[in-house]
Amino acid sequence: MFKKALLALPVAMAVGATAQAGEWQDPNDVLQQFLQENPDSAYLHQSEMNIMMMPDNPALWLVDEGEDLFYAQRGPNNVSLEGCDFGKGPGELDGAYVELPRYFEDTGKVMDFEMRLVHCMKELQGFTSDDAAVARRHGSGSDIMKLTTFIAHQSSGMAWNPPLDHPQEQAMRDAGEKLFYRRGGAMDFNCASCHGDVGKQIRASVLPHVGAGPEWSKAVSWPAHRAGHDNVRSQNHRIRGCVWQMRHAGIKADTPVNTALISYWNDQARGEPAILPDLKR
Amino acid sequence: MFKKNAVAAGMAAFASVALTAGCAVADGSKGSDVDITAMSADELAEHLIFETDSFRDQEMQEGGDWRDRMTQDDLQKACSLKGDPDGETAGQVVAMARASYEAPESIELGDWRKGAELADSGYGYRQGHRTDDHSQREAGGNCYNCHVFDPRVSDQGTVGPSLQNYGANRGTSEAVLRYVHEVISNPHQYFPCTQMPRFNSDRHQLLSDEQISHIMAYLLDPESPVNNQ
Ligand code: HEC
Ligand code: HEC
Repeated sequence: MFKKALLALPVAMAVGATAQAGEWQDPNDVLQQFLQENPDSAYLHQSEMNIMMMPDNPALWLVDEGEDLFYAQRGPNNVSLEGCDFGKGPGELDGAYVELPRYFEDTGKVMDFEMRLVHCMKELQGFTSDDAAVARRHGSGSDIMKLTTFIAHQSSGMAWNPPLDHPQEQAMRDAGEKLFYRRGGAMDFNCASCHGDVGKQIRASVLPHVGAGPEWSKAVSWPAHRAGHDNVRSQNHRIRGCVWQMRHAGIKADTPVNTALISYWNDQARGEPAILPDLKR
Repeated sequence: MFKKNAVAAGMAAFASVALTAGCAVADGSKGSDVDITAMSADELAEHLIFETDSFRDQEMQEGGDWRDRMTQDDLQKACSLKGDPDGETAGQVVAMARASYEAPESIELGDWRKGAELADSGYGYRQGHRTDDHSQREAGGNCYNCHVFDPRVSDQGTVGPSLQNYGANRGTSEAVLRYVHEVISNPHQYFPCTQMPRFNSDRHQLLSDEQISHIMAYLLDPESPVNNQ
């Protein structure tokens, strides 16, 4: 079938993609390039084990399942997700993931990847918030994570390039920057409390520093298999974990605070190739 | 426990934005009537926090609700910076921190064993998908996340300086006791806009005086493993 051919020849399919996005690259190749070009990065080199496991990244197992889900006719409306526009036209997935969040004419607002996916599952396929397909956000067994991993994989190796042409895109990115540096909560933390210096450690984890080129690109490269959780996790799951550690209030999935933070953090990785999916501690 | 005085001010400024906003829809499907491009980045950040249903409506362990937790006090506002504060801001923050500090009449060192447990515990004050229940377990100080106390204990953080041999190097004079109590209570008195949390300030009391005395013993008591390396 057409779709299978697409996945089997990821490099070939990238040729047709927009020029600035760059070519599709295997996630392990991107990682190897980062490691070679940054021999002194304590963050990138922190886990020998994960580097060795990368070619067999368990997150890759979700790609095929996610592809089947994407093209399957599902939901009360019995349609596939091929009608879903992630910003490059209906069903166009090459380079779409690295160019989010973006402003969508049909909703009149800036949406991040997961927000857009859920929007399409509801509007096109007819799922409701209560259906497990949409309600289950986390874990390798969830439809959302399978779809996320498949779609994100189509942008592997391409440079982060979230658009800022629309005034709302710029506004969300700028608000995300404010949120990143906004001290608050029970322990006065902002994101920079832990991600503002190079090579600092919280317990055993070497922390990535915002804006530090390849380090930050790897940091925002989700979905990723988290070895410690034995599950594939999303950008939203990472935000939830950090906000929880920060002792701010509990953040909800799919909300504008997430979108703004992702607008800023993807912008901070701009120009660097994405590792999709990644493998983390 | 929760001290509201410094809070709430920040909210007022954005209430008007919120009113004209009507209901900002956050279900991921519809846009809202708000023109977010008409707001400054600061206003939009506050709007996103308080008016878009982005946080769970939960009770906080210190009292109050999620809005109280997310509303900044003056010190948090002043320190919402990229990089270090300039001289003027630093001076203001130190003054704010000093003005709110109440020195205890006397400071005694407690039990370093209890202090070690508190310093090593990251339990407490977390909210959301898993909420810490302080009636089940005492909240700790989270110190190990940022400081090495005893290199024999694995997995301690380096966001802050190593505190090994802290007492061995400084002794336990009255001046040292006062200084350490001040730093743990409100470190901005010495380190304006530090990443270290305030553990006993006008905003809230995360550690009781007794708990602080135990942690101080862990740092300063000659018998403590921190001072025997
Ligand atoms: C209290 C410290 C702390 C704060 C504050 C914090 N984080 Fe984190 N963050 C961590 C730790 C620890 C990890 C890595 C966990 C690991 O290695 O498994 C992490 C990981 C991350 C990662 C992924 C890094 C990677 O290696 O893949 C991103 C991105 C991130 N945080 C963003 C944020 C954002 C955005 C905020 C503010 C909303 C924030 N963090 C606030 C401690 C913190
Ligand atoms: C989020 C990280 C963080 C946490 C949590 C934290 N600290 Fe700190 N602490 C720091 C930093 C950073 C400094 C250095 C001050 C500066 O330059 O900002 C510091 C400084 C100190 C100092 C002063 C060192 C000196 O030079 O005299 C002491 C004492 C101290 N911390 C004790 C503690 C104790 C006790 C706890 C737990 C109750 C704790 N800290 C929790 C980050 C942290």
